[in-house]
Amino acid sequence: MEELKQKLKVQIIEALNLQDTRPEDIDDNAPLFGEGLGLDSIDSLELMVLLERQYQIKVEDPREGRKILQSVQSMAEFIQSKQQPA
Amino acid sequence: MKGKCYIQGMAAITPQHTFEGDLTQPMAMTHGNMLSCVEPDYRSFIAPNSLRRMTRVLKMGLAASLKCLQDSGIAIPGAIVTGTGKGSLQDTERFIKEIRDYEEKALNPTPFIQSTYNAVNGLIALQQKCTQYNNTFVHRGFSFEHALLDSMLLLHEGTADVLAGAFDEITPEHFFIKSRIGLWKKETVSNDKLYEHVSPGTISGEGAIFFLLAPSATAQSYAQIGGLEMLYKPSSEKLKTALPQFLQQHGLQATDIDLVLTGANADSNHDHYYQVLNDYTHCPQLPFKHLSGDYETVGAFALWLAAQILKQQQIPSQWFPMLQQPPVKLRNILIYNHFFGEQHTFMLVQAI
Repeated sequence: MEELKQKLKVQIIEALNLQDTRPEDIDDNAPLFGEGLGLDSIDSLELMVLLERQYQIKVEDPREGRKILQSVQSMAEFIQSKQQPA
Repeated sequence: MKGKCYIQGMAAITPQHTFEGDLTQPMAMTHGNMLSCVEPDYRSFIAPNSLRRMTRVLKMGLAASLKCLQDSGIAIPGAIVTGTGKGSLQDTERFIKEIRDYEEKALNPTPFIQSTYNAVNGLIALQQKCTQYNNTFVHRGFSFEHALLDSMLLLHEGTADVLAGAFDEITPEHFFIKSRIGLWKKETVSNDKLYEHVSPGTISGEGAIFFLLAPSATAQSYAQIGGLEMLYKPSSEKLKTALPQFLQQHGLQATDIDLVLTGANADSNHDHYYQVLNDYTHCPQLPFKHLSGDYETVGAFALWLAAQILKQQQIPSQWFPMLQQPPVKLRNILIYNHFFGEQHTFMLVQAI
């Protein structure tokens, strides 16, 4: 899980071009939107694209997306849940 | 054009050091056929959170427009009207590549949104909270001229002021594509030596240039845009009659012109059009594309240059080493430019 979160932070920084932000600046549980990283609605679409491209996970329900994209922790948990064999 | 149109503020990001409006800067040299802009530090104009998403031409367009508004002292213009030949090429290229790489799935919204031609106008409007008329013209070599014409019509109809501008960028990929249809010279030319290489093609360029236009002059006005005429693929005969007619419409004749800024670009395919200026040997004829390169909206750079020269009443000699005898007075400047022989423009710029 720790490794996944680290990887995710690097991918988020790269995908959103968060200049002057390093992976260690992102708190696992800090909100990604509003406060915290201060991301906006376009960023949420970019993060959905990131999940699809990097992890082959498509988020169909926008309400579900809101919960998944709350923090790095919630994103990592969601990815892990999808990657575990049923 | 019945109404009057004055330049109250302007700003330019070009391959020269133009952003601060300082004509004493040395000529920037590019030892290649692709001139790129000298870009300012955008952080003093655009918030970091917005900056991270923008590609180059969006930053150039937004920063030039904001600097222009700053220069004019007007925060919210009565209209925003721009012209662009290509819009954001970087975004367009990225979006198209992603369509191919991801087989039309999982496409990023940002390059798509920003690849639309009106993205710069939208950003300016959002930044300045301007909900007025907002339009972008994409008409190849007439893009800026149509934006200018629309702005002049708006002023004539009573709009208090208009932010008019142009923006275009060149990318290595687009340079390569256009080189295949022969737009650029085959031999590598340094921009300061451009006119020594008369051969097929020219050198490419880019720029973001904005003007704040108003219907009446003040002490801070740079110049008046006295006239504008566009001719699509004119014959040499048509061109020859159109120019004196254009001047006549504005109460002038050839001898009233103090300086001609020409779009001559050492392209042997289209050089013959400039013979129309043979009657203007009484005054200096200065080409400007060694400073800017050639692109669809380069007319905006010529207008910026003319307005600066008229306001400062001097021609920057380091930018124009070909100038032998400066004009006795600087009152009327004629700009004649064409885009690869298709879209031809006359512009009359007059001192206040």
